[in-house]
Amino acid sequence: MKSILVIIDTIENRPPPSCFELISFAEQFAATFSLEIQVAIAGGSIGETAEKAARFGHDVIGLEHDSLFHPNPEFLARAVAALMEESRPRYVCFQHTMRGCHMAASLSSRENASCITAVESFSVSGDAPVFRRSLFNGKINLDLAPPPDSVVLTVLPGAFAVTDGGSSSKKPGSVEIRRLSGVDSPGRPLGISESAEESVRLEESDVIISAGRGIGAPENLELVRAVARLFPNSAVGASRIVCDQKWIPYAHQVGVTGKTVAPKLYMACGISGAQQHIAGMKGSQLIVAVNTDPRAAIFSISDYIIIEDLKTFLPLLIQKHEELYKQS
Amino acid sequence: MKILVCVKQVHDTESPLEIDGDRRWVRDDGPIAFRMNRYDEFALEEAVLIREALGDVTVDALSVGPLRFSSTLKKSLEKGAANGIHILYENGGYCPPSLTAALIAGYARDKSYDLILCGVMAEDDMQCQVGPLIAARLGLPCAVSVVKETIGPDKKRITAECELEGGINEIIELPMPCLLTIQSGINRPRYPSLSNVLRAKEQKLVTVPADPGLLTRRPEQPVSLSYPEKSSTGMVISGTPEQKAEQLLAILHEKSLL
Ligand SMILES: Cc1cc2nc3c(=O)[nH]c(=O)nc-3n(C[C@H](O)[C@H](O)[C@H](O)COP(=O)(O)OP(=O)(O)OC[C@H]3O[C@@H](n4cnc5c(N)ncnc54)[C@H](O)[C@@H]3O)c2cc1C
Ligand SMILES: Nc1ncnc2c1ncn2[C@@H]1O[C@H](COP(=O)(O)O)[C@@H](O)[C@H]1O
Repeated sequence: MKSILVIIDTIENRPPPSCFELISFAEQFAATFSLEIQVAIAGGSIGETAEKAARFGHDVIGLEHDSLFHPNPEFLARAVAALMEESRPRYVCFQHTMRGCHMAASLSSRENASCITAVESFSVSGDAPVFRRSLFNGKINLDLAPPPDSVVLTVLPGAFAVTDGGSSSKKPGSVEIRRLSGVDSPGRPLGISESAEESVRLEESDVIISAGRGIGAPENLELVRAVARLFPNSAVGASRIVCDQKWIPYAHQVGVTGKTVAPKLYMACGISGAQQHIAGMKGSQLIVAVNTDPRAAIFSISDYIIIEDLKTFLPLLIQKHEELYKQS
Repeated sequence: MKILVCVKQVHDTESPLEIDGDRRWVRDDGPIAFRMNRYDEFALEEAVLIREALGDVTVDALSVGPLRFSSTLKKSLEKGAANGIHILYENGGYCPPSLTAALIAGYARDKSYDLILCGVMAEDDMQCQVGPLIAARLGLPCAVSVVKETIGPDKKRITAECELEGGINEIIELPMPCLLTIQSGINRPRYPSLSNVLRAKEQKLVTVPADPGLLTRRPEQPVSLSYPEKSSTGMVISGTPEQKAEQLLAILHEKSLL
């Protein structure tokens, strides 16, 4: 029977957030195309994570090596290639992170397989899969059909929800730990550095008003700050681009490489809604977006949609608020 | 030292993006502006900063694409690249990243570059693969999503800080030659200097024909393009800007947020 191989890597033996979604993807995909599922987890010492993954009901292989304690995409791609020799899986999938893409690309090159990244969903055409991914920060979808041989995939975090993560209804799979031998890769991980946390308490705020590149100039951040001041326990967030421009420190950045927040209200001003941004705020209770582009991707996850120039809209919001509340 | 920077031209995302008639790609005629992929601007700037720090460094910019890409290569010259290399590929549709990488690797193979820089991702097709694919083809070590790099005093090693998720970075040491993919924010890309603008005007690009035969297997095929479905849950607040502001305040008040 053909199979799909799921690869989960770890950082200092800890599984990255939402990595078990890959198993959910594999389950849905395997059910559609009658595939067997294999799971491999890599790290320095990963018995515990492997046991956790086995609770999903699939057999798990642990790939252990000292040089996998820190992410080592090239080393892991080699180890996965060796694993592929054994079972010739039709599909191999990684999480869509930058190192996941690095591994996927290295592996596909090594195996002469095609590589489809950032998969958001799949459909069936004839008896073959078609993978859907985004272009232009989610403005357009692209459907790709892989050639009929092995395919390496990266799956977008958040696209496939973990269904019954480790519920007792399933008989856990077996766990086999393999100590890898072999020489290190030329790229040598030296360690992890955690960025010094500045005192911006985004995670604890009830309301976050966030600025994107649509603010146009750093002066307009003042508008965003003024809107934030209308709410108790509020903070100013930002997209990565705004932080890259040094308009505001990185401690304000929301998204995969910034903070993950889930406030009562998240108001996105001039933010397009790139998947890397959405990943960090989609759990917010109420999402309001202000954008001039009616097709901005942020609107597809918004509760309230305001198609306006923020430079006119935000001052009006502040002014109307003043008029309404000045008596009280 | 020789550095190669891979730069791509992309549709300006502020332009109206429309799917073409046969749903195969995004239209590139009409009121469309094009610009350099932002991540590649950071990569190019990093190369120029290395040259300014080390002195004896040549920076080449290379692009694979149709004729219109030449304006982005000219822009690279204006921003400080010494040479612009155009691998001319007129296909006007989905270009598999494996082909782009094969063409770039094919060009770079015998040019003894000490360092190849790519952007972490192209803003149009968002593949995040071309860099590592080039590295794999050339057998070079590679680090992705680099937010800081330091070349060792012997110019034989490079220490790169690579961004993982949630504010964690990994520090990796690589022997040179190697390939890095550059993440945004690593530097602040400069505006072209007048002297470089004048030089770029005079200078010819090196044009190389593309050999699609470099790809030894059938790549993935585009089936179709589509617009994402409109969200079913979101409510569009309508009216004049004043009315919109009042409505939003009323909603936020009702939800006890104000
Ligand atoms: C590995 C990786 C990690 C990343 N991590 C993150 C992350 O953690 N967080 C993050 O945010 N990004 C991250 N990014 C970047 C991300 O892909 C996007 O580039 C970024 O989120 C876009 O920011 P933006 O929405 O502010 O800008 P743009 O995409 O340029 O959007 C600007 C928006 O403003 C609108 N606009 C323009 N003018 C106005 C106006 N006057 N009034 C109202 N609206 C206006 C436009 O219509 C547009 O929708 C990452 C990228 C990569 C590759
Ligand atoms: N057509 C191209 N020409 C030159 N460089 C490219 C091209 N396509 C991609 N690249 C490089 O590869 C990086 C990643 O692109 P991608 O894998 O398509 O997301 C870009 O930032 C560029 O540095």
